Order: sequence, then structure tokens, then C-alpha cells
Amino acid sequence: MSETPVIRARGVGKTFGPVTALDGLDLDLAPGEVHGFLGPNGAGKSTTMRILLGLLRRDAGEVSVFGGDPWHDAVALHRRLAYVPGDVELWPTLSGGEVIDMFLRLRGSHDPRRRDELIERFALDPRKKTRTYSKGNRQKVALIAALAADVDLLLLDEPTAGLDPLMEVVFQDVIAEEQREGRSVLLSSHILAQVEALSDRLSIIRDGTIVESGSLSELRHMTRTTVEVETTEPAESLAGLQGVHDLRRDGERTILEVDGDRVDDLMRQLAPLGVRSLVAHPPTLEQLLMRHYGDDRGGRTDDRAAERTVS
Amino acid sequence: MRGSNETTRTTTTTTPLAERAAAASTAVGPGATRSPLAGTPALLRLMLRRDRMRLSLWVLGIGLMGFYFAGAIQVVAEDRAQLAQMTTMFADPVGRLMTGPAYGMDAPTFERFYATGYILFLFILAALMSIFTVVRHTRAEEQTGRAELIRANVVGRHATLTAALLLVLLADVLVGLLVSAGALAAGYATAGSLLVGAAAVAVGMFFAGAAAVTAQLSESSRGASAMAGALLGLAYLIRMGGDMAEQGGGTLSWFSPLGWSQQTAPYVHDHWWPLLPLVGCAVGFVWLGYWLSTRRDVEASLMPSRLGRARARPSLGTPMGMAYRILRGGLRGWTIALVLTALLFGSYAESMIDAADALPEEFAAIFSGDSMMLGYLAYIALFLAIFVAAAGVSGLTQLHGEEARGRAELSLSTPMSRTRWLAAHLAVLLLGLGLMLLLTGLGTALGALAVLGEDGVQHADDLVLASLHQAAPVLAVLGIVVALFGWLPRLAGVVGWLLLGYAAVMTNFGSLLELPAVMEDLNVFGHLAQVPVEGVDWAPFLVLSGIGVVGILLGMIGWNRREVAAG
Repeated sequence: MSETPVIRARGVGKTFGPVTALDGLDLDLAPGEVHGFLGPNGAGKSTTMRILLGLLRRDAGEVSVFGGDPWHDAVALHRRLAYVPGDVELWPTLSGGEVIDMFLRLRGSHDPRRRDELIERFALDPRKKTRTYSKGNRQKVALIAALAADVDLLLLDEPTAGLDPLMEVVFQDVIAEEQREGRSVLLSSHILAQVEALSDRLSIIRDGTIVESGSLSELRHMTRTTVEVETTEPAESLAGLQGVHDLRRDGERTILEVDGDRVDDLMRQLAPLGVRSLVAHPPTLEQLLMRHYGDDRGGRTDDRAAERTVS
Repeated sequence: MRGSNETTRTTTTTTPLAERAAAASTAVGPGATRSPLAGTPALLRLMLRRDRMRLSLWVLGIGLMGFYFAGAIQVVAEDRAQLAQMTTMFADPVGRLMTGPAYGMDAPTFERFYATGYILFLFILAALMSIFTVVRHTRAEEQTGRAELIRANVVGRHATLTAALLLVLLADVLVGLLVSAGALAAGYATAGSLLVGAAAVAVGMFFAGAAAVTAQLSESSRGASAMAGALLGLAYLIRMGGDMAEQGGGTLSWFSPLGWSQQTAPYVHDHWWPLLPLVGCAVGFVWLGYWLSTRRDVEASLMPSRLGRARARPSLGTPMGMAYRILRGGLRGWTIALVLTALLFGSYAESMIDAADALPEEFAAIFSGDSMMLGYLAYIALFLAIFVAAAGVSGLTQLHGEEARGRAELSLSTPMSRTRWLAAHLAVLLLGLGLMLLLTGLGTALGALAVLGEDGVQHADDLVLASLHQAAPVLAVLGIVVALFGWLPRLAGVVGWLLLGYAAVMTNFGSLLELPAVMEDLNVFGHLAQVPVEGVDWAPFLVLSGIGVVGILLGMIGWNRREVAAG
């Protein structure tokens, strides 16, 4: 099993009428790997997931899941995977507990203790009818039904979009546990920080094509952190440091950007300058995409506009 | 990602609305912002914009049908002699059961024939239009959460319901005008033609009011429409009993809003006063709707939702168990409604015999009391079977909804094959429909036994047979819809309802309209032998069943080949 990749996609294309959803997509997921699948809304993440599930047919290219064809071998493959859609719709008259049990039984073997434990950790009331659940609670139902199942692969399509920060922490813990048990996870998101915390490898998709793929350290050059600092001594000298970019002053503050692998260096140089306050924030996905691949979507150059479109 | 389009669209439509609502209220003065009706004009404009196609089609459709009905009679029956012959259609008890009290059929004219046989269906369509429109703009908006977005603006508590009712009033008045115009264009008397139009408006508003109440009671738009629709069905059933009992309508006719509309006796007596209870009830319902809406929160219903089970029963973990839970509610509702209808129909059997005995000589020559009753029972089996098929089409639209809302996607991500998914739902549906046919047959028999006593026993097994015999056309309709579900899912529901609507019209009027044989053959329910009047003819039974089975197989193939729609 360790020989066969869990997911292998080569040159996958998919069009819906005049719209091209996927355009030569490549994707690899090794056994036991948590793979972050990162891209803005409408980039083709969900279409990819649905092709991997055999719900959609690819128009071009090759896809295999556990070595099988997702369209023809759907049932056999589905025994080994669980899926959480980005927008979870449930049966309004069933309770959350009923939906979880139904899916666990349809998926085959599962651990009932794991089910109860997850319900408790995600603080879900399983007796409520799903009609009364919020988006976040519906998502929890689908997550619990997937996470408690005895499967080798989890396909999670923006699984935390409706979860509050506390639940997101629970989610990250649970995914870490899944990873220790050797499960593979394909985790799509449009928030870089979220997948960064969990993933072994990342693929960034834009307009139906993977524009960047690799391990986190391989992608380190992409994670340029923005640092805003107030110092007692002038900080202009930092501009000469390797890996520091775009240094500028805004009143008392100095704003600069630093490559991910140079943060340590910068901190050493900052300390003697007398740091009064310091804010550092990771780049958003849109910042990254624009910095590395330009902006062909009509002159949105300032970062704040870009952040708005992502959130 | 899926929901985001919807959200953006809603936001863009409501922003100008909010501005307009705010502008409107400042223009009227500071007092207006506190009014429970603030924002009504803006909401009405939004509803008109959303419904400009949908409601126009309803209004024009009903109006054109009015023109067609009024004009067609004079084409079908060329002179009064032919007309007099055709009056048996409506004047005998089975005819009255279908259409109404048959006023003035002792001296038939074209206009009386029109009023007797056709206007009830225009009224029913106006009622359906009113129910769907009110629910669509009230409860359905709350269910989707759009109402919240609206109510967050300067919009009074009663603005939405008021705007929806104004919209329906507008549509109903247009329908009334078109219906009157259709009758006038056919050269019918002015007073009667105006009365027919006014009655259409009154019936429409009665059921608009009823929908305004049910929209407060139920948490889902489906439930609200079903409750108001059930009231319409009940009105029809009660009227059936009354109108069948005697010409001009019996006591029961006076307990039905549809009965009131027909007791106006257009072109015969031209009574306006039976419209008063319709209008009175409409006003009462609307008041009740407003009052109930103040007793609840936005998006809540007056019926509190209960907690469910924390764990599923073992049965829920199989494809069949899942399909059963999904389809159970609908099947249960249809079964209860149809069995009650069957009981009622069965219990009308006695007055059918009495009424047949009271028929004038020339009719009695055609129908003896007993054969009249057998004909009645055959008609009932057919009538109920069309509704059993409707339950089937409704179940299949639910299946399409499973796909459209993304729940099928989630179900199919488990190791359940597409074939099993569809087969499980179809098995539950077919078993449910079979049981429904059996129970409606038994219900009719039981109702007949209750009133006829000993005399009814001989017909009991005939009645069950007559009902089960209808399984073939029901299966055929289902097969056609399943085949479309597999290949052209968008058309499936529409074609299903069209087939049934066509069957209902052809069953009631087919022989009257003198249509080419091809048109008659298109009626799925028009091929079987009339059990119990005739014996079972196996040829059409097997052909229809075959169509059903082939359709289901084709649908399975298509469903396995096509992509699952994105939600």
C-alpha cells in the first residue's frame, strides 16, 4: 500500500459549458500525508473533490485514488474514504445523532466510542433536529461522521468555514491525531494559516491549475511575513538585511516584509534597537498569489482589497 | 463555495431595497417608520420583480384557459340538440360529483354549460396560484433566511404579509378580469360573466387568506402549502358529496368555499350573495394571520420543534432505511389524505343510487341504478389512482431535491452505489404507492359498506381489485419520470406533473372535447378497462406496466452515466 499513492492526478481538465473549471491539474497525496489544498473561491477545489469522489467525470487527464478510477470504482473506493462537503446540507427532520449514525453505518465499520468522544469534543447536541442547526453545527455533524469512520482517506472541503475559533482548535487537534494514526487527509481551504498549521505538503490552485506544490519548507520562500515595529532607535538599517523587503516608515512605525526563513535573523537585529511594540502577521493567500503570479483580475493592487475578496 | 453565489445575489437585490424603504419612510414622515406596515411598497415592488415571469404565466394561463373553455363548447356542440345530449355529462350524479351543482341543465345553453362544467377548475387554479404565491413570499422567505435580511431594514412587522397579499389580490383581480373577458368574448350574458370573474377573485382570496394562516403555523414552506392545499382538497370533497346528492347542490355543498362559489349559479339565478361568506372568511383568515404572526418570532413556527433521538435506530443505517426516512413524511401525508378521501367517496355510494333512481326517464335508459354505481366506483378508482401517481411524482421530485441540495452527494460519498441509492428510494416509493392503492381500495369499500350494508358486500372485492388494477398506469408515470431523472433531470418533475394534469383533464373532459385519438392515447390513465364495470383487460395493463419497468431501467442507466448535479 505504501507504494501506491493515495491520490494521483495528472493533467486533469473539466469544463462546464463555456466555463473551464480545471485546466491541467496535477495533484499527489502520499499515504499518511496531510495535504493542504489551497486556493481562492472558485479556483476549482470543490470540482477536484467531486472528481475524486466520482460524482463528476473528468474531461481530460488521469486520476487515480488508491490506484483505482474514481468514476468506475466509486463504491470500492468509498469504503476507504470519507468526505465532508464545504456546504453541508442535511435532512431537516433527522436529528444530528441520527445523521451521524446513518453515515457511520453506511460507511461500514466504525468505533462507537470515537463517535461519542467526538460529539463531546465538538460540543454538539445530537438530539436536535438538523433543521435547527447553524452552518457550523451542520458541518460538525458531517465532520464527526467522517472522523469517527474507519477509513484511510479524508476528503475535507473547507471543513472549518463555519466553525468558531474554539472548535477550530479542536479540529486541528483531531486532524493531528488522525495523522498519527496514519490516515491521509486532503484538506482544502482558502486560508493559508489554517492549512499551514496542519499540512505536510501544500498545493496552491488558481484558475483550475496547480501553481505551486511542495513541502512547507520548499514553499518557505512564499511565506513572507509582514512586520510592523516601533523602536527607540532608528530602524532603517534593517533594509540592508538579507531577506528583508519593502521597508518603509509610517510615523513612528517601521513596516517591512521578511522571508519566512529569515525571521530569526531579523529578530536578533531588532532586539538591540529597543522594541516598543511589534506586530507580525502572515501573508494571506491572496497576497501570496498576487506577489508571485501577478494580478490579472483588473487592478486590485492594494492588499486590503485583496483580503476582502478572500474573506 | 456553493452558498456564496446565492448570498451575493440576495445582498445586491436588498441594498437598493433598503435605501428605497428608508427613503419612502422619511418621505411619509417620522411616524411611518414605527408603522407595522413600513416598507410595504418597496417589498411589493421586490415581489413583482421576482414574480414577473412566474405570476404572469399563472395569470395568463388561467385567463387563456377561461377563453378556451368559453369558446370551445360552441365548437364542440354545434347546436342546442347536441348540447342537450351532452348535458348528461354534467347533470348525472357522477358528472355533478366532478364539476358542480349543474344549475339550469334542464334548459341548457352554452353559457350555462360553461358555468356548470368548467368554471370550478378556473377557481381551483386561482386558489392554487394564491396559496403558492403567499407561501412563497412569506414562509419560504423565512425558511431560507432571506426574511431576516429584509426585516433588518426599516420594514414593519406586517409589511411582508401585507405586500404578499396585495400581490395576490392584484393577480386574482387580473385573473377575474380575464375570466370575465373570456366569457364576454364568447357572447355570454354580462351579469353572469362578471359574476364568474368575481367568484374567481373571491375563491382566490379565500385561499390566499388560508395560506396567510398556514404560513404562520408551519416551519416549512412545504408544510404551509400542504396545509392550505389540504383545505382546498377538503373543500372539493365536501362539495362533491353535496352536489352529487341532488341537482342544485345539497346541504353539504354549503359547507365548502368551492360550493359557495358555485351556488352563485351564474347565467341561471346570478346570485351575488354567496360570495359574501367567501370574502368574509378571507378577511377573517387575513386577520388571524396577522394576529398569529405577532405571537411568534421570525423564522419560528407556532408549533414548537421537538428534540429527536440522540442515536439512530438500527434500520437507519441501510440504504432502504435512509430512503424510508427521507420519503416517509410525504408518503404518510398522502396516504392519510387519500384513505380519508376514499372513505368519503365510498360513503357517497348510497346517494349515488338514490340520485340515479331520481333521474328522468331518458337518463335511466342509459344508466340503471346499479350500473350507475359501478361506473361511479370505476371513476373513483381512477380518480384516486391519479392522486396516488401524484404522490409518486412528488416523491421523485423530492429525490431530485436530494440531488439539487447536495444531500445525494453526501450520501453517495459512502460506499453506496448510485444504483443502490436510486433502487432503495424507488423500492420504498413503489411499496408505499402499492400500499396506498390497496388502502384506498379498502377505504372505498369500507365507506360503501358503511352506508349500503349488505348490498355493499358484493362490491367490496371489486373495489379493491379496481384500485389495485390502477397500479399499471401509476407505474407507467413513475417509469417515465425516473427515465427523465436519469437523462434529463430538469424535465423530470415538470413532465410528471404535466402527465398527471393532462390525465385529470382528459379523464373529466376527454370525451367532450372530440380530440384526435392520439391526444386521447396520451392520457396514461385512459387505457385500462373500467373495472368493475368491465372485467380486467390484461393487454393494456401489461403494456403500461412494461413502460414503467423499462422507464425505471432506462433511468437507472442514465443515473449511473450522468454527473451528480452540483448543489
